[in-house]
Amino acid sequence: MGADASDLSLVRRVQRGDKGAFDALVLKYQHKLVKLVMRYVRNAAEAEDIAQEAFIKAYRALPQFRGDSAFYTWLYRIAINTAKNAVVSRDRSPVEYDLDRNAGEESYEMQGRMKDAETPEGLVLTDEIRATVNAAIEALPEDLRTAIVLRELEGLSYEEIAAAMDCPVGTVRSRIFRAREAIDRRLREVFEGGLGRAEELG
Amino acid sequence: MNEELDSQLSAMFDDELPSAECELLARRLSRDEQLKARWGRYAVMGAVIRAERGLRLNVPLAGRVSAVLLAEPELGSVPATHGPRSSMRWWQPLAATAVAAGVAAVAIVWLRTQSPLAGPMLTSQLGVPATTVPVSATIHPAPAASADSYVVPRPLKVAPMAVPSTELANYVVAHSIFSSPVAGRNLLSAFMTSENGTAGAEEVQDEAKIGAH
Amino acid sequence: MRPRSARTSGQLLALILLSAAAWAARAAQPAPAQSPPVSAPADWLERMNTALTTRNYDGTFSHWHGGRVELLRIIHRVQDGEVSERLASLDGSGREFIRTGSSLACYLPDKRTVLVEQRPREQPLVGFPTVNDQTARFYDIHEVGRTRVNRRETHVITVAPRDEYRYGYRLWIDDSTAMPLKTQLCDAHGNVIEQIVFASLALPARIPDSAFKPEVSTDGFQWLRNAATPPLPPAAAAALAWNAMRLPPGFRMAMRAAQVMPGSSAPVDHLVFTDGVASVSVFVEVQRAPADQSAVAQSAAVGSSSAFSTVVDGHKITAVGEVPPATVQFIATQVKALEHPAPAGPGAGQDAPH
Repeated sequence: MGADASDLSLVRRVQRGDKGAFDALVLKYQHKLVKLVMRYVRNAAEAEDIAQEAFIKAYRALPQFRGDSAFYTWLYRIAINTAKNAVVSRDRSPVEYDLDRNAGEESYEMQGRMKDAETPEGLVLTDEIRATVNAAIEALPEDLRTAIVLRELEGLSYEEIAAAMDCPVGTVRSRIFRAREAIDRRLREVFEGGLGRAEELG
Repeated sequence: MNEELDSQLSAMFDDELPSAECELLARRLSRDEQLKARWGRYAVMGAVIRAERGLRLNVPLAGRVSAVLLAEPELGSVPATHGPRSSMRWWQPLAATAVAAGVAAVAIVWLRTQSPLAGPMLTSQLGVPATTVPVSATIHPAPAASADSYVVPRPLKVAPMAVPSTELANYVVAHSIFSSPVAGRNLLSAFMTSENGTAGAEEVQDEAKIGAH
Repeated sequence: MRPRSARTSGQLLALILLSAAAWAARAAQPAPAQSPPVSAPADWLERMNTALTTRNYDGTFSHWHGGRVELLRIIHRVQDGEVSERLASLDGSGREFIRTGSSLACYLPDKRTVLVEQRPREQPLVGFPTVNDQTARFYDIHEVGRTRVNRRETHVITVAPRDEYRYGYRLWIDDSTAMPLKTQLCDAHGNVIEQIVFASLALPARIPDSAFKPEVSTDGFQWLRNAATPPLPPAAAAALAWNAMRLPPGFRMAMRAAQVMPGSSAPVDHLVFTDGVASVSVFVEVQRAPADQSAVAQSAAVGSSSAFSTVVDGHKITAVGEVPPATVQFIATQVKALEHPAPAGPGAGQDAPH
């Protein structure tokens, strides 16, 4: 299992002409890239445009990607440059986020807030998605919840999670998979159910 | 859906699937819209768990990108252009001997001279009007407490320091802990960021090529 | 992507608990902090410096200079009297600066190098300038007003230089925590040269050791460390003792020491001069390279800080500080060797020659 094998297998397919494989890469990294770009532009819609531009640049530059660095690292740099160019060309100031007091322990987190450019439907869906996933996670048996939280929130590898939870790696893989299955049962409804509400709104 | 397949999908999403199986699954993933949709929902779950606020969770980027790429030629059908920088080496390792001897053989000059007064007026870029925070407009000459009075020398026209970056880096680090906390952080921040853009240089090249599209 | 740092099972267990707690606590609301009574501007500076040096914090900030904006992350912890700090570039360079205990390490992935400076334990790790009565002669410090930065109440304090030897600051100091949410460094005319604005900032009660591990992988990197030497008494470090014959008004010597730089074995004299707000280090070392290394003065900049070096009597003298280029140049060209060692300690450098 080489590092970055997952991304590389998709990248190689794209390099050989399979555009569908690129969709998978976009799906995997789109949230991360938008979040990254939002450090530079406050407006979510604008951030999405910039992220889109970055993905397209990445696709076009893919023939030159040799795997010297991880794919995401390479993509990340393209996104930063794209964002910065956009910022510089629009003559904006350094990023400032809105503060939102939260949590205890005399700690406070400043969080990004979207001021505008969101259709009401978009917002509702986002909240609905978030609520659905959170509810599904709350309902998970503890070992499944722990496994997926350690994976997604702390970024631990299966091996590290196995050590933390004192179980075999295979069990970790199974727990994470089953956690995702359970969440997906509910999430699929939001994405596919009835009116196809979570389809692209353009 | 086949449970084994889905379990593999989950593992591949976490980059925990052996590469041979990745190859097979990648092929299926690229063709199977349902599998792709599931994969996309895995990403949404991750975003929610990380409480990534402020962004749309049903980001429709994949569809848009896919639509744009429909018009693009497939990669591999057009021969990739190989410029002199096509090998993605992000850095040139410093020659060990050059550094040890402290000789200015290293061509990387990553610091440049700068006169503070030549910098651009920042206030407009910040959106902070110049009058918001008044600074004392009169600059009083230093009280002549000492016997000698000093004339501030005009900075000489000097060559940019072609010193091995390591040496100046050492000085910067050693000095930083004797600055005030604010100044030290300014200094280290400037030091941490790549002023000469050596790491970003590759993208600039690619952009130049992309511009031709 | 996989995290690169190894973790012990104890830490992993703590992570599980932490994750569970973080998960559960996300909706909790804190009680608003009480704001302290009205204080003199200089008090705010002191409070700010105290917060920056004694509190735990974890934040990301943008650094603006010369038209470029970069994002960085800073994590700072004080635990059992020991300071740990990690400053990392979130943009392309991937560089990191990590301080733990008495070691300072710079990870430079774009140069495939790690610089490690081990400071002698006896030497104070931090000694920064403090504002005193004398400072007011050279800086005009006052509170301009109160304003909100990102919905937080802040005091805007300006530290305006009275001449062109030094830079000034505008500081937006958070009312409840005294953390500087926004800082600007300005020249004597009020033009902003550098700016730092926090985009996110948290003051957690606890920060794990794992937060101070580098993210970059150092396989194949070149490691430059300074040779571990016991601290050399300054007077014994060299037959000649170096000092500045003249200094810009208000500057005094704050420290003098000898140390060894990473990657070399020759001792280097390190002098620190300060006017209460700004500080300038002067490094003196024997010129190693042959004559083709130009003996002409050289200057450079690191962000808004200036550096200037010159060669005197086979010694290379470099001044570095958060002051205008003319000031480091002035100080560096005033550094000479004295026949007999000057008394070490503060006050050793005088405004006027003896």
